[in-house]
Amino acid sequence: MRALLNRKHWPLWVVLILIALALILPAILPWTYDQIDWDAVRAPAFSGSHIFGTDEIGRDRLARLAAGTQVTLMVAIAAALVSLIVGIAWGATAGWMGGKVDEAMMRFVDALYALPFMFIVILLMVIFGRSILLVFIGIGLVEWLTMARVVRGQVMALKERPFILAAEASGTSSLMIILKHILPNIAGVALAYLMLTVPQVVMVESFLSFLGLGVQEPLTSLGILVKEGADDMDMTPLGLLLPGGLLVLLLVCLTIEGERLRDIYS
Amino acid sequence: MSLYEIRDMAIQIDGRQLVEGVNISVETGKCTAIIGESGSGKSLSCLTPFGLTPGAALGSIKLDGIVLTGADADQMRKARSQLTGFVFQQPLTALTPHLTIGAQLQEAAAQAGPARLSRNELAEKLKRVGLSRADERLDQFPHRLSGGERQRVMIAAAIAHRPKLLIADEPTSALDASLRGEIMALLDELREEQGLAMLLVSHDLASMEGHSDDLIVMDQGRVVESGPTADVIANPQKDYTKRLIAATPHLNEPAPDLPSVGDTLMDTEAVTVQFPRPGWRRGKILAVSDASLMVREGESLAIVGGSGSGKSTLGRAIAGIGPLTSGSINWQGENLPERRARSLAMRRLIQPVFQDPVASLDPQWKISDIIAEPLNNLRPDILRNEREEMIKKALDDVGLGIEYLTRAPTSLSGGQAQRVAIARAIIAGPKLLVLDEATSALDPLVGSSILELLAQLQRDQGLSIIFITHDIASARRICHRIAVLDDGEIVEMDDMAAVISNPQAETTKKLIAAS
Repeated sequence: MRALLNRKHWPLWVVLILIALALILPAILPWTYDQIDWDAVRAPAFSGSHIFGTDEIGRDRLARLAAGTQVTLMVAIAAALVSLIVGIAWGATAGWMGGKVDEAMMRFVDALYALPFMFIVILLMVIFGRSILLVFIGIGLVEWLTMARVVRGQVMALKERPFILAAEASGTSSLMIILKHILPNIAGVALAYLMLTVPQVVMVESFLSFLGLGVQEPLTSLGILVKEGADDMDMTPLGLLLPGGLLVLLLVCLTIEGERLRDIYS
Repeated sequence: MSLYEIRDMAIQIDGRQLVEGVNISVETGKCTAIIGESGSGKSLSCLTPFGLTPGAALGSIKLDGIVLTGADADQMRKARSQLTGFVFQQPLTALTPHLTIGAQLQEAAAQAGPARLSRNELAEKLKRVGLSRADERLDQFPHRLSGGERQRVMIAAAIAHRPKLLIADEPTSALDASLRGEIMALLDELREEQGLAMLLVSHDLASMEGHSDDLIVMDQGRVVESGPTADVIANPQKDYTKRLIAATPHLNEPAPDLPSVGDTLMDTEAVTVQFPRPGWRRGKILAVSDASLMVREGESLAIVGGSGSGKSTLGRAIAGIGPLTSGSINWQGENLPERRARSLAMRRLIQPVFQDPVASLDPQWKISDIIAEPLNNLRPDILRNEREEMIKKALDDVGLGIEYLTRAPTSLSGGQAQRVAIARAIIAGPKLLVLDEATSALDPLVGSSILELLAQLQRDQGLSIIFITHDIASARRICHRIAVLDDGEIVEMDDMAAVISNPQAETTKKLIAAS
């Protein structure tokens, strides 16, 4: 843990500060994200209690930004965790069993990789209507694939290591070998890829929201804010620049941190 | 005046003095060998004068009249590329993977001058180092060659520009045991023929004995002793040299006193192990075929063979941690099934120890948990408070104190880690240990202390041992009998003394010559 205090982990700190702001700001701001200030539609920045002004129907920009960041990161972290669990379970099983089971399981992963996933998500949305659950399923469907591949490779490399053979000779069952010897030894790599999955999911979620397929109004996300800002950018460029800039900052920081962790562990 | 002369050399890396007071001299047509354990500074002393390590060499270093300390870039280049040839330990990593053998040789020869060699001349150079079908090999890439062939190519490249000095850093350590003798013989031949001065670095005293004129023994960055090889070995002056010589197993040392043996404990009948070919290719690889052997109570059996002979595969099948295609493994008449079908009671009988001591301990676990693992699974009858006592006793048995209990595997040296691995193997009270090259990755002093430990455990606990190795001399120190494996088949099996004095199979003769 102390290693994370190192100066070179600044991207992680930027992300943590942004998360803290997104959690604290709604509690201390005088406006909520869906509250309309009829007296200040399209207010410029620093007008009265609206620090970043209001949007085209008079909602406080800062409050919406905080709420959008919350939703985006919540979706991203939840989907990344789901992908972590499914990916580790799938990859570890395939890598440990080896042979025909491994072949079958990994060909299934290849098949899923080949699906035009965005198309399927859009199709699902059209058929079942928009819901945050479907966004989850759509994203989770794809994001675990890379994790499964990475974990499988790590397990394959580990399972011929002498300490695993020694555990087998010690009478440790396969399940316990995976849980107590293999998983702790791939935790670092898995963490690094988790870190890289989060920005990918942020991208996907924002993209779906931008297309109008993400979360429902008045709930918001960074993607929706970017879309609203883009629609209105000739009038108030701030509406696009703020969520866009925040999105870029988040993605850059998460990716740098993830790649740094990956370099350390693999 | 020697061709290469080092006087009072010190080597510093990042301000730390790692080597000091080193004197080396190599004369034309002679070979000087530097012997030492890992970390003794032997490679550093050889490579640093040529700027091949991050260190800086101080002192007086002269090669053929060129002063290397403080030499300008031109002189250094001349010394390094024209006067000197290098052979490294890893022949695969030292060859460039995307260049053909011919291209590598051409590049090496170009150091002497701009004239390009004809194809015939290149092939001639390969023939000189004992490679057959030389013309065909010029177009091959390094990965098509075996380890021994690659090392021959390395040697051909190192002498292609006719250097005056050849520096060989552990030239045979990465090679199969049966090839080591051949490579050393080749180096001797070339030295004589071309009048090369040779500086040889090795950790293995035995392999240097017949090949070097002068010997330098290094320990912890200092020269312990130096002089003519025969003198140093016959009449060592310093304590360290004496210990090193005593630790190096020798085929003509007096036969060890081994404990007496009982009835048959374990035997195998026609054990065969096949692996599927990797990828989509059809067919099988036959790793072990029809291996029948037996071990008696309190007996040690050596399984000896070159790399790829199937000795590890056979050992793993016996220990129940590797596949078994057909044949049977019996324990006092009772059949032991393969791998995961073995019951805990059967697991308790046979325990393995591996070659790489650090890789055989889970880096995430504490030593106490590592040693306790077999106890927790295989001895559910033992109470918790007794277990702690047993762990402490096992540590004591392998010569480690209880302060090791809380340490992490990564903080241990190779010898300490191997002792922990042995403690884990013996704690649940096994009857048979399968040791897979258990001393090969260790320095000679450490390796011989592990051998002593094994002999001790065998005497005290009546253990039987299967000692898998490529080194007959070290097997002889603890083993009653020997089985020689070649290409998956047992080609010879008899009492140790009988096999050594009168080897029958070709493989056995080669392995004995290499020891």
